[in-house]
Amino acid sequence: MSSPDRGAVASARLLIEAVSKAFGGVPVLREVDLEAGPGEIVALLGANGAGKSTLMKILSGIYAADAGRILVDGKAVSIRSPQDAIAAGIRLLPQEISVHPDLTVAENIAIAALPSRRRLGVPFLSRREIAAQARALLDRLGLSEIAADRRMGSLGLPQQRIVEIARALVGKARILIMDEPTAALAEAEAEALFRVLDQLKAEGVTILYISHYLDEVFRLSDRVVVLRDGRIAGSFRTAETSPDEVLTAMLGAMAGELFPRKAAPGRPGDVVLAVDALSLPGWIADASFVLRRGEILGAFGLLGAGAEKVGRALYGAEPGARFAARLAGRPFKPASPREAIAAGFGFVAAERKREGLVAGLTVRENTTLPFLGRFVRSGFVERRHESEVTSNWIRTLSVRTSGPEQEIRFLSGGNQQKICLARWLVGDPKVLVLEEPTRGVDLGARREIYAEIRRLADAGLAVLLVSGDAEETAGLCDRTLVFREGRIAAEFGGETGPRDLLRMAAGHDDAPAAAGRRSAPQPPSLQTGAPL
Amino acid sequence: MQASITTSPAAPRGRRLLAQLGRPAAGLVVLLVFYILIVAAFSLLSPYFLSLGNLSTIGTNMAFIGLMAAAGTPLIIAGGLDLSVAAVAGLAGVVVALLAALGLNIWVACLAALGAGALLGAVNGLIVTRLGLNAFIVTLATMSIVSGLAMVLTGGLSQPLFIPAFNWLGSGRVFGIPFPVLLTFLVFLAFWVVLARTPFGRHVFATGGNPEASALLGVPVRRVQMTLYVLSGLSGAMAGIILAAMLGAAAPNAAGQHLLTIVAAIILGGTSLFGGRGSIWGTLVAVLILGTLANGLTLLNVSSFWQDVTRGAVLLLAVGLDQLRVRLKA
Repeated sequence: MSSPDRGAVASARLLIEAVSKAFGGVPVLREVDLEAGPGEIVALLGANGAGKSTLMKILSGIYAADAGRILVDGKAVSIRSPQDAIAAGIRLLPQEISVHPDLTVAENIAIAALPSRRRLGVPFLSRREIAAQARALLDRLGLSEIAADRRMGSLGLPQQRIVEIARALVGKARILIMDEPTAALAEAEAEALFRVLDQLKAEGVTILYISHYLDEVFRLSDRVVVLRDGRIAGSFRTAETSPDEVLTAMLGAMAGELFPRKAAPGRPGDVVLAVDALSLPGWIADASFVLRRGEILGAFGLLGAGAEKVGRALYGAEPGARFAARLAGRPFKPASPREAIAAGFGFVAAERKREGLVAGLTVRENTTLPFLGRFVRSGFVERRHESEVTSNWIRTLSVRTSGPEQEIRFLSGGNQQKICLARWLVGDPKVLVLEEPTRGVDLGARREIYAEIRRLADAGLAVLLVSGDAEETAGLCDRTLVFREGRIAAEFGGETGPRDLLRMAAGHDDAPAAAGRRSAPQPPSLQTGAPL
Repeated sequence: MQASITTSPAAPRGRRLLAQLGRPAAGLVVLLVFYILIVAAFSLLSPYFLSLGNLSTIGTNMAFIGLMAAAGTPLIIAGGLDLSVAAVAGLAGVVVALLAALGLNIWVACLAALGAGALLGAVNGLIVTRLGLNAFIVTLATMSIVSGLAMVLTGGLSQPLFIPAFNWLGSGRVFGIPFPVLLTFLVFLAFWVVLARTPFGRHVFATGGNPEASALLGVPVRRVQMTLYVLSGLSGAMAGIILAAMLGAAAPNAAGQHLLTIVAAIILGGTSLFGGRGSIWGTLVAVLILGTLANGLTLLNVSSFWQDVTRGAVLLLAVGLDQLRVRLKA
């Protein structure tokens, strides 16, 4: 990319010139140029390790660049600490929601600079000012429905996310960096967030938006900038490009179909798991279905519609679940995950960090945890055997790691997820439940994970895919159960597109599904989903 | 104005040293170096310090503390905590003395004390794992209950326990090594084997590192914690028996004052109070450090009040250094 001309400099809110950064001699960013105007939403895409997060961390003052300039509104700024970034008007919203659940919405918003008044030299909090400030910000974002005196923890995830944005706007935030803001939200909930972003855009706030979801990017952004191997691999006007073009730029030589082919038509496999009248109070009512050998069955629904609990209810992780089921012909009623595993059930949890990883343990120890018994001889764990098996899976799934002895927390999301998958393949489960298997995973790794799931199904595994991502469900599953208000509303075949799934999940356009549950999802607008 | 330009001046050698310091084993090495330093310092300052007699005094003085710290280490690694362990030791001694005074065989009395310790551990474990209450508060409460009971049973008075075969547990020697020291070392060795080599040990680290994920991966999280509470109670009883044998008497409050030393040793040894991380040998070296420090300062005629101050300062220093190490790594 050539240096922008004078005119562009004058109008650019944010201008990044030839920023480079290396870690331990390995270049991560190489002379990156980027420009964003006021009120512009620039989507930043790139596979894992492309340099997105490093660039974000440089902008927000967590790392210092090795070389290059950063200009805000035409003035060079020196960003050496998060305080410098905030002073320059740059705010970062990290991927994980971080709020104080026991403080009120208003207190959360004001937490960085609590308005106080001195009485007799002692500062007292001014509750009225805190409330007024919060009210003003929420109104500005068009969020009159959020009460400023509510406890933060009582809000739903999307609203917490939005309050976080309001918090970032305290002071004079001119540039907002958002890292995967919808990663924890269901599709319909994300829409509320997008409306807030549209509002900010109208006010002239510049937004750098990182996401792995192409449909979001195409719904929101004005421009798409693609990073690959620390360089700008492409910069497109969103209106003039296509998902294919963006994907090609991101993946380079890896570009190709994201999803593998579906199961070959023909005689359906034997029933492995037959579930009769599954119910979980408050979530699922009377759901019956079968899962066959060699197929990928989808459980899809809006957040709160019950689909998200199907896998864990069967896995013995929901004490209130009731059902009658047969697994490979035998009665199956696990009282705990431990019993489910013994019966041939595997489970990859949605919340990888909280439910999937033991952060302090190594890749090896994480891989062998569910089937540790297989590595025990005369009472002792055989580490060499563990290492061999782990190295084998690292190779098979091309996990980027320094080796089995690396602590798993140092791996990227996609590589952690591959280990979460591999650990079940160490045993040989008959049924594998995958919850949101590619949440927070970059496209390159997503493709590899999808291919591996299909390979496993071809090898005879029965896979239950629980996902709130319509694109993923439609792209991967041979059959899909759509849940609405805790019941199976419909079953679709493998040829169904994401829009049909969404339409069914949302019910009719004016009747939001699952209203009055944990949150009240809006009917999703059926946007230009990326036809991958 | 040039923005955000930094150089990377760190010399390769410095970086390599940092990388080494970041390794888990480095914490243990740092502790050992510290231990050697204080041993060297005391042997220079006091000619008597390095004598065999004095070294075995340090060993026997610390043995019963080591027993409790050894069992406390995996418990804290698994995300638990047992503040009642020293009180259990006091009660165990009292149980032995009272049952022996009733004419019961001394070894049966010891078994009864061990059973009582295990039972109290089980009570702690049940309350923490089944009711989901905070271990700090639960074991603080049981500590108070147990030490109170020991006082009630004895009226606060020491119970004499002169039975030569029993007193051998405190003062006997095997191949010249004091029996309490040998026993404690064997217990450490056993815990190391269990933690490093067995599936149970792996489950201990997994449970402390992330109980939620571990449960979803089939780790019997509650059973692991329950087992460790029972072992902690058992170690308290064992320590109480050894202490009573050493002293020739069961004092209801004999061990209570050592609770801080036990917890300090575990943390000094590099075990994280948040669980998931820790080392049994680290605890052993830390016990040696704290014992050596107390002994050396006594030899130098430093008052026990100043010893408390020193112990606290060493703990702060060690924990601070360890944090620094972890941060350098990140």
